Amino acid sequence: MSDKAPLMLKCSGFPRAGGKASVKTPELCVCLLVALAFDDIGKVGAAALVLKAGQDSIVKWSLNTTVAPGTDSAYKMMVVKLCYAPVSQKDRGWRKTVDDLKKDKTCQHDIVTSQYSPSSNTYTWTVARDVPTATYFVRSYAENAELVKVAFGQTTDSNKTTNLFQVQAISGRHVSLDISAICFSAFSILSLFGFFFMEKRKAKASQQK
Amino acid sequence: MEISKSEYEYSNPKTFALPVDSEHKATEFRLFSVAAPHMRAFHLSWVSFFACFVSTFAAPPLLPIIRDNLNLTATDIGNAGIAAVSGAVFARIAMGTACDLFGPRLASAALTLITAPAVYCTAIASSPISFLLVRFFTGFSLATFVSTQFWMSSLFSGKVVGTANGVAGGWGNLGGGATQLIMPLVFDLIHKNIGSTKFTAWRIAFFIPALFQTLSAYGIFFLGQDLPDGNYSELHKSGDKHKDDFSKVVYHAITNYRGWILALTYGYCFGVELTIDNIIAQYFYDRFNVNLHTAGIIAASFGLANIFSRPGGGMLSDLTAKKFGMRGRLWTLWLVQTLGGIFCIFLGKVGSLGLSVAIMLIFSVFVQAACGLTFGVVPFVSRRSLGIVSGMTGGGGNVGAVLTQVIFFRGSQYTTEKGLELMGVMMICCTLVIMLIHFPQWGGMFCGPSSKGVTEEDYYISEWTSAEREKGFHKASMKFSENSRSERGKKVDSAPTPADRTPNTYV
Repeated sequence: MSDKAPLMLKCSGFPRAGGKASVKTPELCVCLLVALAFDDIGKVGAAALVLKAGQDSIVKWSLNTTVAPGTDSAYKMMVVKLCYAPVSQKDRGWRKTVDDLKKDKTCQHDIVTSQYSPSSNTYTWTVARDVPTATYFVRSYAENAELVKVAFGQTTDSNKTTNLFQVQAISGRHVSLDISAICFSAFSILSLFGFFFMEKRKAKASQQK
Repeated sequence: MEISKSEYEYSNPKTFALPVDSEHKATEFRLFSVAAPHMRAFHLSWVSFFACFVSTFAAPPLLPIIRDNLNLTATDIGNAGIAAVSGAVFARIAMGTACDLFGPRLASAALTLITAPAVYCTAIASSPISFLLVRFFTGFSLATFVSTQFWMSSLFSGKVVGTANGVAGGWGNLGGGATQLIMPLVFDLIHKNIGSTKFTAWRIAFFIPALFQTLSAYGIFFLGQDLPDGNYSELHKSGDKHKDDFSKVVYHAITNYRGWILALTYGYCFGVELTIDNIIAQYFYDRFNVNLHTAGIIAASFGLANIFSRPGGGMLSDLTAKKFGMRGRLWTLWLVQTLGGIFCIFLGKVGSLGLSVAIMLIFSVFVQAACGLTFGVVPFVSRRSLGIVSGMTGGGGNVGAVLTQVIFFRGSQYTTEKGLELMGVMMICCTLVIMLIHFPQWGGMFCGPSSKGVTEEDYYISEWTSAEREKGFHKASMKFSENSRSERGKKVDSAPTPADRTPNTYV
């Protein structure tokens, strides 16, 4: 069984072409549809979906358009990214959403970059090991020939409240690390006692001189 | 036949590699020598202090990875940064006491070893709380600053003590800058060459500063010596050094108002330096949108200026003292620190990247020189309680760091640039109290020496009661008083020499 997230609703604004330096999100055409399909593995109820970093074949996505024909004539490349939901951006300025795409830090992890094609695209994605524990949605940008972003779509609504999923990161800890840390720490403390003992002995010896 | 150590020394005077005064303190500072005990102690102390600084500020350059691994918020990061510098407030005072009682060699080796586990355990931190705790306990190691200054003040005479303190302190502080380059490099090596994932690589990286710290403690214990004539423990047992009374030592430190004033002003040069170490990389990253590597290099250059700026401050202190004595030291300190405050205000106001980096570098030179200048004055505040006065001043530095971070760089009340401006203003205001320091034997910024004709001996011997003097406990202070006469400067007409006092004879 797969779970399909609902698709983008509106198609407002008008497509922007041209190689301008800074592209602002509200100026982009919301003309793409992004959906997520998940395997049974990792599914935790209907409320929150939790993916584990480093596990295989968890996510499938498909992409298609339902807008007026010809809108996508400029689209050449698709860039699909993993983006932070507002709850994971709170009190974390390094993930802030800013309109100017050059400074926007919402979407920091790439999923895939591929040639644009209007029909359905699927990609099997392995959550990378450096993806942190957080709540996410998926967004895809369409770029024109000058690699300027001209349109996008995302798996959640415009307020980024629906169909969010979570990723559970690896801890980075290993048993060998734990043991090493504890051993070296114990060694340091033991050395300290050794120092005090040696110092006392030296002082006694000099007293007898 | 058994003879005491002092009798032995009288018949066989020790020869030192450097020229020494009557207390056997070196009167010259030879940077490229490792001769025992003076220069060897210098190199051991600055290297171990450097190691402690590297450990304390090892986390900031790796924060972009740590904050993702441990799911930290900006508040968590801010709190951990404050914790890193707050532990040392009391640790520095305790360290001062330990130096007075046990000697700087044992005290600093012990502290360096005790805090090493905190650095090792950073590798196994798993939550915001454990991260805060390891940064807190690692920060205690910054108290080795006090043992460094105490040790230098014990081994080098007044003529070069400013220089010795300045270079040792400056090159130790260097660790705060060097770590911004070292840790990302070590991380890269482990992540790319050994192939560990990011969230594991940063953990392994922390073993490097931890091992460095452990090794430096060994070096100090086995190769260092407290005083030119031996270690405290030996000198205590042989009777050459009287083991002082803890409560008396504390009393004479806290009742000397000059120590408190210097503690406050040190909070606004060194405290500011610590705050900048914690926030400057993020400031450049956020305001000017440089990438993380560039922000790290800029942050490193702030700390790296310590290689010459703090020593420069110490040397400047000694230089002005040659001509103008203690009054020169005080004036220079006030001037340099106030200029530091002015450049801090500029730093907040400037809006372009290039100019901002330039102002930051100028600011770093002045603020670090002020630190060096402060410890050109500290050795003269008290002889008996040198350790605790050094500890109070050092602790005051950390209090300043906590205060400035809490007031200006926490939460979203002020933007970082506004915080920098206001911190500069606070620097200028708090530095004004230097005008209140007055030594009866030498004078202060605006007043000359006391008209009652107070001498150096009067000032330093007053720390001992007549009962203690009868037992001869004040001998070291007597020697120090005579050697500190150089703080009168070239105009020697001011204070009288002690003509009818007890003659300076000592076995």
